[in-house]
Amino acid sequence: MSTQDPNVPNKESKDAQAADNTAPKAEAPTTPLKEKIGFAKLDLTVDEVEERISPRETNVFDK
Amino acid sequence: MISTPSFPIRLVFPPQGHFTQPYLALPCIQAWLETHGFDDVKTIDASVESYDHFLTPEYLSWANGVIQDRLPLERYRTMDSLSFKELDAYRAAVESAVSAEAVIAEIDQAKRTLRGPDCFDRDLYVPAVRTIYHGLRLASAAHFPSQLTPHNFTMGYANDRSAEVLRAIEDGIQNPFVRYFEEQLLPRLVAERPRIVAMSVIYGSQLIPALTLGRLIKSVLPECHITAGGGFLAYIGKKLMHAPGVENALDSMIFFEGEAPMLKLAETLRDGRSLSEVGSLTWFDRSGGKVRTVENAPMHPIRLDDAPTPTFDDLPFDLYFSPETVLPFDINRGCYYGECTFCTLPTVIGPGYRTRKAETIADMVCEMKTKFGVRHYNFITDCMPPGMIRDLPEELLSRNADVFWWSDARVEPKAYTLEGAKRLYESGCRKLLFGFETATPRLLKLMKKGQSVRSTLEVAKNCTDAGISVTFYAMVGFPSETREEARDTLKLLIDNAHIVREVSLQTFHIDEVAETYHDPKQFGITILDDPEADLQLYHDYLSETGMTQEEAAEMFSELMAGFREHMPLFAGDNIFYFMQKSHYFLHLARGTTPDEFARDSRDRTARRKARTVDPGLALPKHWKSLELPFSYTEVVEKLGHPLARAIRPDFLTGRFVEGAEARAEAALGGVTRKARALVYGGGAEFVEVRPDGVRALEALDAAGSLGALYPHVADGTESLDRFARELYRLGLLEIPRAEPSLRDHELVANIKDSLPTS
Repeated sequence: MSTQDPNVPNKESKDAQAADNTAPKAEAPTTPLKEKIGFAKLDLTVDEVEERISPRETNVFDK
Repeated sequence: MISTPSFPIRLVFPPQGHFTQPYLALPCIQAWLETHGFDDVKTIDASVESYDHFLTPEYLSWANGVIQDRLPLERYRTMDSLSFKELDAYRAAVESAVSAEAVIAEIDQAKRTLRGPDCFDRDLYVPAVRTIYHGLRLASAAHFPSQLTPHNFTMGYANDRSAEVLRAIEDGIQNPFVRYFEEQLLPRLVAERPRIVAMSVIYGSQLIPALTLGRLIKSVLPECHITAGGGFLAYIGKKLMHAPGVENALDSMIFFEGEAPMLKLAETLRDGRSLSEVGSLTWFDRSGGKVRTVENAPMHPIRLDDAPTPTFDDLPFDLYFSPETVLPFDINRGCYYGECTFCTLPTVIGPGYRTRKAETIADMVCEMKTKFGVRHYNFITDCMPPGMIRDLPEELLSRNADVFWWSDARVEPKAYTLEGAKRLYESGCRKLLFGFETATPRLLKLMKKGQSVRSTLEVAKNCTDAGISVTFYAMVGFPSETREEARDTLKLLIDNAHIVREVSLQTFHIDEVAETYHDPKQFGITILDDPEADLQLYHDYLSETGMTQEEAAEMFSELMAGFREHMPLFAGDNIFYFMQKSHYFLHLARGTTPDEFARDSRDRTARRKARTVDPGLALPKHWKSLELPFSYTEVVEKLGHPLARAIRPDFLTGRFVEGAEARAEAALGGVTRKARALVYGGGAEFVEVRPDGVRALEALDAAGSLGALYPHVADGTESLDRFARELYRLGLLEIPRAEPSLRDHELVANIKDSLPTS
């Protein structure tokens, strides 16, 4: 299940396209499993988000 | 003894305290009151009850609806940039939008995991803890900018200004406890019509919730006397009781140890006498049409051996987020050493040092074990004297107590010999926390610690050799400390990671009771006052030499990063065990040795890093993606900078640092548009990908697994594999527990061999 919030500009919006000037574009697979999908040109960069644990909150002594 | 059944007393522990185990003060006071004839006394842990309430699908669904109104995503649609001030709201909005459905679906299971035997399965434990953290972020976002975490509660109001505190207690939007108390706790109290409600305020994070509750109770039960006491109020209570408006939330305040004053208060109110008779009480005299603050003289503390076994009977053992109940029990009060120049904690109980006899402690532990069926104890003490270190194990062993325990400790080389440590282990001791502070002898002398680095390490080694896990408290930023000295501390701790399993690190801070505050010249510092902070407890300072406060905050991050890299319990998500109070201890109590736990932690981190692509990889059931106009990662990195962290009320002190937001804004700036997507899969951290990544994930989802997707790959299999491997390493993709059959693997391997590569 994957949904996209309608309130946030999607890839096809003008603003988003203007901002995303680095990623190579590829056609979205409309029916992904009925036709072959090319992944070679997709930008599959993954940005790791640091553990969302505040290191300031590691003091078991107090709380 | 006179029985007084018609005088109900309710003892309330207000939010926020940690949710893994009960707190001690109120069960002690309940036992004291009951021993002296008050038989309608109940203790309510409103903190754990509120955590449990906020972390329900119903509350989180409500919160999700509120968030969409309060933090609408559409406002970002047309923005070209986000200023620094807008980053926190953006983060809360997008995190909530992408994680709400999964968190709501999984929160009940996460709570069951932490409360049951699955808690000991690391692969179930870590996702469950993460889901709890994500749940609290979701609940908090409905009250933005307030934040309730497992360790803290902060709002957009300063804790050290009474006018702000009083505004906070009436802010039904930002303050989640207004609605919680109105709907959940107040109806119970109204039905029981207590004559006294007494609250224990140990932490600064409890101040606003306690006054919130006090105000609400006064509005519906005007005849009920509202009092409060506890460690935090021992520091700022006098100032609070002189702040205009507080009389609308409280009637009185008890200072220092609570048993004797609380009993006297109850007897005085029951008998209709004047509150001027109650020692250690500061109260509002409302006679004559005016409100006047009256400070009574202090009372003598009780003889600790006369204190009965704490009454834990009313506490909701099944609500604590722990697979086993761990009960706190005080073996002494005050500190027999009492010299450390930075430490004021023992003063909150009042002057002097008192202890129970070792025989009494062992008897009471056995009594609690029989009564509550609890084998795990957290002995509450600022430091255990050498005689007790020798006697307590003998008393526990002679009774075959068969319990496990952990506690704070002071470095006593003559007591913590290898033989002594072995006796402690035999009596059930599994973890001790020592005040190490720093590797610099010069600073130890300035702190008046009365211990050497060498003796501290010897004690730690003896405990480790005996099988006891050792935690060190360490400090960064003591006046005159240089960066090099702080790095020496880091190096020494890393070099000794085989005998020091955990480090509880603090930045140095100055409170108004400490020697550093009263004699700043001795430490080469100038204390800074904030004239607008009428509840000020902690002070900024200028140091003649060494690191500035800001540099100490940066060094804190550097030391934590070092621990994360070199200490197995701090690496990756293993740090959750350290953060959840007794959870690591419970593993030790089950027979896992510190070495085994460290090895398992190291192996788990290594296994995750070494994860390779697998055809069985699939998305979790509740995954969701959200295309973003601004990079989430960039926002989180800016908010994680020490300058940005200083904007939130400080974790330990609850203070807003003066001018912090302006400095952070100038140094860090905002962000500009970037097309990104945020992905959440439940039980893992958020992952940011490019919009193309969402297409790949949608294809993977449609196929059902990576292996099932391969036949539909036109080109770029290697890119896809790299992508999948990275997401597997980050925990977004998983191999479902029912493994594909060997035949499936062979089939997939054959298909892959025939595919073109990019």
